[in-house]
Amino acid sequence: MTDAVSARNACAADAVVTLEGATKSFGANQVLKGISLEVCEGDVLAIIGPSGGGKSTLLRCLTMLETLDGGSLSYGDVRVCADDGGGRAIYGGKDVIREAKTRFGLVFQDFNLFPHYTVLKNVTDPLVSVHKVAKAEAEERGRELLRKMGLSGKEDMVPCELSGGQQQRVAIARALAMNPQVLYFDEPTSALDPELTREVLRVIRELAEERMTMVIVTHEMAFARDVADKLIFMDGGQVVERGRAADVINAPKHERTRAFLSGYAS
Amino acid sequence: MQERSLFFADRERWVAVEFGVMLGLLGEGLMLTAQIFVVTLIGSLPLGVVVALCRMSRFAPLAWLAKFYISILRGTPLMLQLMAIMFGPYYLFGLQMGPDWKFIACDIGFILNYAAYFGEIYRSGIQSIPRGQYEAAEVLGYTRAQTFMKIVLPQVIKRILPAMGNEIITLVKDTSLAFVLGIAEMFSQAKALAAREVSMIPYAVAALIYWVFCLLIEFILNRVEKRMDYYHD
Repeated sequence: MTDAVSARNACAADAVVTLEGATKSFGANQVLKGISLEVCEGDVLAIIGPSGGGKSTLLRCLTMLETLDGGSLSYGDVRVCADDGGGRAIYGGKDVIREAKTRFGLVFQDFNLFPHYTVLKNVTDPLVSVHKVAKAEAEERGRELLRKMGLSGKEDMVPCELSGGQQQRVAIARALAMNPQVLYFDEPTSALDPELTREVLRVIRELAEERMTMVIVTHEMAFARDVADKLIFMDGGQVVERGRAADVINAPKHERTRAFLSGYAS
Repeated sequence: MQERSLFFADRERWVAVEFGVMLGLLGEGLMLTAQIFVVTLIGSLPLGVVVALCRMSRFAPLAWLAKFYISILRGTPLMLQLMAIMFGPYYLFGLQMGPDWKFIACDIGFILNYAAYFGEIYRSGIQSIPRGQYEAAEVLGYTRAQTFMKIVLPQVIKRILPAMGNEIITLVKDTSLAFVLGIAEMFSQAKALAAREVSMIPYAVAALIYWVFCLLIEFILNRVEKRMDYYHD
């Protein structure tokens, strides 16, 4: 598995996320065929590739919405699952899973805000209900995050009163509220028109400037090139090419990557 | 009747008194009607949750059992179910039930029947909540119980309210089926009065009272719907 070797980019400190030899099948269809990646603190990793190439499944496995068939996954010192040596992933107990869930946040393609909660409560309720933060403290933190997302004055509205771009920014605030070590984005602008896309990308760009560790599945090539440090091109359940984002997008080495990127006029 | 009318000087007063007697009897019936209505809701609203959870269970035999239960209770007349419960103990086990058994049998029949319908409404509501809501809650670390109580249930209630309104209003009128068990609810009283006085008026008054009963429920449901109107999805 040469891929696993090249995936090691030797973080200065402990890697935030370490995935090795990840495999996943749905029935007879193998969607992930041994994916390895390492995300260091402050990294912005973009994952690109054609639909059906395994990007979303990879993200769903990293966020434990799906379980891996094989391979190992760690968040820092928290070992979510380990390979049993025979290619089967053995998951840790409830405590391990709960601890791992505090390490990351996920921003969905279609926001998935809670429609019956106000904007502020969307951000604060996980803090109060899950992390047992005092209500006043959670609200202070929620308001601060919403302000940062450019949403001051919208605290008492409900999501349906906001534009898609605003909703997605609320979702980002919600994911940031519990101070995750890494933030995942699953095609965060695919449900938005170009103007709303810009406002969401601007927020993500600002987070990148603050050295927020992020993994972004995206179809926005110009954005990936400008904002991400590292990039992975996935197709057919495998990592076809990886490297510095600008290098891969400007001068793809692999034939398949070149064909894919030529479809974008960026 | 004829001799009683001699006590009154004029026919109008006699009519007024007769009307008062009729209203009194219908009112007594209404009490029983309301009682069946309330007891049925108290029993079947929670039992419906159990039915829905069993129906959606991943444990196949339980889901199958719930499916069978729903099929039987929706697929046979409520009137027949009431009679089966009323007379079942005697014909199946030779048990002589006391004079109050008919009220208990009536409540059991209504609760079991309505739980089947409510269970299916709950299921439709629960299954209409997008997967993304569960996934967002899961990633944020909500427990399964929290996800259901805080995220799913409030949205389900809003979605099923119109269907629940339908069923609850149907229940108001279905209480008249208690007639077959010899329970003197409002419809039974109206029928008796109509036969005695050879008049349609008791029926008309009973109909009016049923309607007002339903108007009251519509009013309450509208209030609840308004309160949940602050968002849509």
